[in-house]
Amino acid sequence: MTNVVLKHLSRRFGDHLAVRDLNLEIASGEMVAFLGPSGCGKTTTLRMITGLIQPTSGDVLFDGESVVGIPTERRGAVMVFQKHLLFPTMNVADNVGFGLKMAGVEKPEIARRVDEILELVELPGLGDRKAHELSGGQQQRVALARALVVHPQVLLLDEPLANLDANLRITMRHLIRTIQRELGITAIFVTHDQEEAVMLADRVALMFDGVVQQVGEPNSFYKRPATARVAQFFRNSNFLPGQRTGNVVTTSVGDVEVDPDLVPEGSGHVVLTVRPEEVQPVLDGSTEGNVVPATIESVIYMGSYTQLEARIGDETWNVQTSAAFMPKDGETVMLRLPREHLWIVRDDSSEEGAVAS
Amino acid sequence: MSDLVETSEPIGAVRREPLRSRLKIPLMLTPALAIILLLFGGGILVGAGQSFGYFPAIGLNEFTFDYYRSVLTDPNFLRSLWLTFRIAATATVLSSILAVAFALVLRHNFRGSRLATFLFQIPLPVPHLVAASGIVLLVTQSGLFARLAYSLGVIEVPADFPVMVFDEAGIAIILTFLWKEIPFVGLVVLAILQSVGPQYEEQARTLGANGRQRFFHVLLPLIMPGILSTSIIIFAFTFASYEIPLLLGVRFPATLPVVAFRQYQDPDLALRPEAMAISVVLAIVALLLLIAYRRLAQYAVKR
Repeated sequence: MTNVVLKHLSRRFGDHLAVRDLNLEIASGEMVAFLGPSGCGKTTTLRMITGLIQPTSGDVLFDGESVVGIPTERRGAVMVFQKHLLFPTMNVADNVGFGLKMAGVEKPEIARRVDEILELVELPGLGDRKAHELSGGQQQRVALARALVVHPQVLLLDEPLANLDANLRITMRHLIRTIQRELGITAIFVTHDQEEAVMLADRVALMFDGVVQQVGEPNSFYKRPATARVAQFFRNSNFLPGQRTGNVVTTSVGDVEVDPDLVPEGSGHVVLTVRPEEVQPVLDGSTEGNVVPATIESVIYMGSYTQLEARIGDETWNVQTSAAFMPKDGETVMLRLPREHLWIVRDDSSEEGAVAS
Repeated sequence: MSDLVETSEPIGAVRREPLRSRLKIPLMLTPALAIILLLFGGGILVGAGQSFGYFPAIGLNEFTFDYYRSVLTDPNFLRSLWLTFRIAATATVLSSILAVAFALVLRHNFRGSRLATFLFQIPLPVPHLVAASGIVLLVTQSGLFARLAYSLGVIEVPADFPVMVFDEAGIAIILTFLWKEIPFVGLVVLAILQSVGPQYEEQARTLGANGRQRFFHVLLPLIMPGILSTSIIIFAFTFASYEIPLLLGVRFPATLPVVAFRQYQDPDLALRPEAMAISVVLAIVALLLLIAYRRLAQYAVKR
């Protein structure tokens, strides 16, 4: 199995810098997701790893060796495209066996390995079908089998589940994860769906505007988002600015205490955040432990929980609470920002403006 | 109202449309069909009749295979047939191969690719006769290429320039066909390539296929149907074309359409039945070749 290192990887298209100084090490057998909105450079990065496009600068290393000078067909980085792209002139078995045939593997050996891999993707005995006779999910499995059968150094998946319906997506997600673990293959996939990234990947690299914003295990994006924009991408737009002195942050709605073991050191202007599901309504009148007043702006009953929009100082926060808690519009309630869930994000609202202009 | 009528019919009954609406399409086609049947079918019938010896205008009323016998036993006939086939087959194969090569280049975006594609299409509206004259001006021993070669000192006298017009190999004829037909095949192939896009090749590439493999295993099967249908048209056309071989070909042996045309034009009307027999044989041979080619092509595509 192969470990992949991306070193100062950049790609320019005319005046547009699609990928900027990207550094990442992907361990052998690891599954990494490049996550980001469309146009963030994630697919460009994937194509640079395959060699379908060349980096403007920087390096791609497989097991410590640079592969930038090696053409795609000899790199062993096999891509599964968003559109399944089964060759329409071939049947399923010929599609799956394509890579082996190109490598000059003997016919009986190809047949044996094709049968084996079709078994693995749970499509046994479909070898004689034409590509267009299969359903979307089956085509995606064939595309996956076609990639796996050549024992790739690295498996690259470009939005592998984007064209599938919701139920199929769950099955496929499971299948991809199981097979990837079973074969211990190094895999990199690209997605714009943060749930998919979180569920499939060992680690996620979040990209905006060609720049990796944060790399880490899936839950780090929920618990410790680096910037306000990262937090927002993971559906957390609860922000509260303040001045930090030691472990105390003075905000427009009072002092709030942060956990020094959790948040990095620092002082001055900071932006606080707590995920919507971690904000707690205070019903017993207690004022201990980061309790702040909030004005309810809207209440939506969601069945299993209540979705509140609450105004804290000048900011609008989203809060998910127990369905039993049903305040009225305009009511003032007390909310606790639990110290163990309080996190400080970098304020990148000005950077965002700079990129957009 | 018609809904009610329909539902009242017994289940399983074959619903017949009113006679008028069933006859509508054939009736509307009648004027066009009449012209085709009268002019074309009538011509064929008269021609075939003459080839079998029914030609009352010159007093022939006897049905006979004599003309076919004399045509088919004439050694010159076989020679002409072979020449006709060779020219048509060479033009078809070469134009298909070159057209694919051009299309492979033109599908890429490069500086001036739009201009190049435009230039590539220029031969399409140019009549074959004009193309033939252009080729003559270029490649005869007194043509532009011969003079160029002479003034550059490549050849010592213009007569040293290889004979390409009125030659037995039919080089000028084939060149004219190529000039005219390459854009025709090329544009069809180009359209397929552009609708297919680069994705299949990229997919094949990541699976380890090199350039040659990508062409033969991925691209060629995708464009093959387009090549086959256009090359059938080209073969049929070049096989039966008389004006280019007449203008640019050697006087003997001439291609079959030329032989037929000369005999047809001969003041001696007694040669007319033989001309018709040649035409009928030509049509049948062309038909058989095309059927065989189609069979072969379908087999090749399905494989």
